[in-house]
Amino acid sequence: MTTALDVCAITKRFGALKAVDEVSFRVSRGEIMGFIGPNGAGKTTTMRICSTLELPDTGDVQVDGVSVTENPREARRRIGFMPDSYGAYANTSIDDYLDFFARAYGLRGAARTAVIERSIEFTSLGDLREKYIDSLSKGMKQRLCLAKTLLHDPAVMILDEPAAGLDPRARVELRELVKALAGMGKAILLSSHILSELAEMCTTITVIERGQVRGSGAVETVAQGVTSGQRIFVRALAGVDALQRRLLELPQVSKVHAEREGLAFDFLGDERALSELLANLAASGLGLIEFAPKAVDLEDVFLSLTEGKLQ
Amino acid sequence: MSTQATMTERLGDRLNPILVKEVRQALRGKYFRVLFWITLLVGTLIGLGVIAEAGSEPSIETGRVFFMTIFGVLSAAVHCFVPFSAFLSTSAEWDENTYDLLIISNLRPRQIVQGKLLSALIQALLYYSTFGPFLVFAFLLNGIDLGSVAVILAGSFALCIALTLSGVAASSLASNKILRVVIMALFGLGLMAVWGMSLGLAAAITFEPQVLRSIEGQVAFVVFLTAALVLALLANAVALARFAHEEENRSTPLRVIATVIVVFATLWGTWLVAEFGAGEAMMGCQAAAVLLSFLPWLLLSTEPEELPRRTSASAPRSRVLALLQAAYIPGGGRGALLCFLLGALAVSGSLLGMRFASGSLPIALDVTVAVAAMYAYLLVFSTLAGGIGAYFVRRASARLVLRIAVVVAVPVLIIVPSLMAIFLDSNDGSDAFSHGFNPFYVVYALGQGERPTLALVGLALAVALSLVVNAPRVYSGLCEILAASRTVRTKGTDAPAA
Ligand SMILES: Nc1ncnc2c1ncn2[C@@H]1O[C@H](COP(=O)(O)OP(=O)(O)OP(=O)(O)O)[C@@H](O)[C@H]1O
Ligand SMILES: [Mg+2]
Repeated sequence: MTTALDVCAITKRFGALKAVDEVSFRVSRGEIMGFIGPNGAGKTTTMRICSTLELPDTGDVQVDGVSVTENPREARRRIGFMPDSYGAYANTSIDDYLDFFARAYGLRGAARTAVIERSIEFTSLGDLREKYIDSLSKGMKQRLCLAKTLLHDPAVMILDEPAAGLDPRARVELRELVKALAGMGKAILLSSHILSELAEMCTTITVIERGQVRGSGAVETVAQGVTSGQRIFVRALAGVDALQRRLLELPQVSKVHAEREGLAFDFLGDERALSELLANLAASGLGLIEFAPKAVDLEDVFLSLTEGKLQ
Repeated sequence: MSTQATMTERLGDRLNPILVKEVRQALRGKYFRVLFWITLLVGTLIGLGVIAEAGSEPSIETGRVFFMTIFGVLSAAVHCFVPFSAFLSTSAEWDENTYDLLIISNLRPRQIVQGKLLSALIQALLYYSTFGPFLVFAFLLNGIDLGSVAVILAGSFALCIALTLSGVAASSLASNKILRVVIMALFGLGLMAVWGMSLGLAAAITFEPQVLRSIEGQVAFVVFLTAALVLALLANAVALARFAHEEENRSTPLRVIATVIVVFATLWGTWLVAEFGAGEAMMGCQAAAVLLSFLPWLLLSTEPEELPRRTSASAPRSRVLALLQAAYIPGGGRGALLCFLLGALAVSGSLLGMRFASGSLPIALDVTVAVAAMYAYLLVFSTLAGGIGAYFVRRASARLVLRIAVVVAVPVLIIVPSLMAIFLDSNDGSDAFSHGFNPFYVVYALGQGERPTLALVGLALAVALSLVVNAPRVYSGLCEILAASRTVRTKGTDAPAA
């Protein structure tokens, strides 16, 4: 797969604060990368650097082979950025809005009309074209912004929290749109705080905290890096506290933490050791009712990679 | 029919996108329509009132009053409403966060400013074409000759352009909303003042048409046009700088304009002195230049010190060229350098010009001392705080505070000592404003042939202090340029090998 977005050791300071610290990752064509991290981690700043809106202090980003620091105008032709907050012009219809941005990209005549039609069709905004933007719902505005982002057919799309504030149906629709875009061979970098959402569509993730990358790669790879051994979920009649006390006495058990009504923990030993552990727990009179290996999900990855310290 | 349609379509394709958008918005919105009809109604009613008042025998006087009434309304429209709506529409780009969208759509700052200007001018033209027939009617009433009408309209249109660009520039100054409201209020007040001024000028021409036939009147008109042009260029440069990417070179155009202002003032002054033999002309021109230069000089000398990355990559390869250009390359230290160079240029230019134009050395010296004092104040106000601030200020917000503090400090320095004089002095306080912190007093006194020695010594010390304070950053600014030029050079020699 060819790399479309290559972020190479970028650093950005705001005064004394290092908002982005030596961040590197790559996104290939057709790949959807989830970009996750706590508030203030530096996601938006990284994305703005990739979109030429901010200049890194050091490092560089290549968009489809074009450097954002050396050739920002060329890079902008290849990138579609959907910011997390943006406004709508007053007294402007969807058609006018798209027409304006298509003109800004230098599209003329029939080419412009065709491009606008394509974007409107893709985002199913056809019935609303004459509506004024200020009267659109949040979901419709989000679609419109996506349509605008698609006008110049960028190779790389950067979406900053596109699902924020959307209702469940709109979210599902957005997900389908994003998948369709990836199917068209675009590289997509997408940030969100809704991890279940990301798990549904992302092929890879990058976790960032306090400006530093904590993990990056395919979801399973990153997850393996997070867990040592395998993760087990247990539940017992005796309650969480008694169970935890017992678990901590046992060998090869680590990272015990509460989950739903029970506990989850990492187990370092092999299958035989695991079966001994189960026998041990069953014999300890805690009233074991659930004992199951558990797939690591994005939430686990997120919680174990980030420390929760606000920047 | 269809070829015509494609012709217009093709033409429409070439239009500035911002212009198309803004005109569509204006046509759909209420603001412009309501204002337009109200203006037209008010103009018509007052005009009819004037004619009714005159009765059956309209005199020349009726025609003149009629003209002035209509012009008053037109002037309110093109000198207040239009520039103000340009201010509002630019300010909307910040409020709505659409500015980033404009930039990533590859619109250039130049296109943004031009689009805002053009769409405002279209509104202005609508007003002109609506009120045009009324003005012709005034001509039919025998109130005014067509030449005067043409001069007044040309002047008012030039002023409209300058004010509209100022509106765009003013609203681009602060992305902070509260600050922008303050700027909006100031700008609105300024527009009202300009409205009054334009009425005064139009009345002078209307009631004394022979003014335009005298050489003084014609010179005054050209000076007026020049001032409008310079204001327009200045505002344009400021707006372009503010709209450019943070790391792009936002400062060189402003530096060029700052230079143009000083050169223009010196040349104009020299020409006026040669033509009319009055030394005041040079002082007047330089005083106007100093007032116009205050803001740009302050902006330049309080810029961040470091060379932006994109700019440093395009530094000239030749060491000598790099040094020669230094004052025109972004950076606070280099900005201060430019201010000092321009100050020196204005003073020496005035001396030479006066010597050449008036032929008398003593007069030339007198005028030059006054000019030197003006620029000394300008230098101190614009570079001293910037030089000191350069040691502390790092954040953009602190920089903004510094700039505002300097702008506020100037009137405070004039007023506070005066108030103290009024309260502390036993006499009536009539000379309360005659103190060394008041540049207007010192320059005026010098013009009158007085020598306020204490003030002059203080001023000289302040200039020396600001030289000392700025010297380190000017030096490091020059070193930085040389280093950038070296980097470019080594990169350049590496390239063929690779
Ligand atoms: N223009 C700026 N000036 C100063 N500090 C800034 C600026 N932009 C961002 N920051 C700071 O940089 C850090 C990273 O901010 P950023 O917006 O990139 O975080 P984020 O990961 O997008 O957070 P969120 O999840 O809340 O959107 C924050 O501490 C923020 O306060
Ligand atoms: Mg963010």
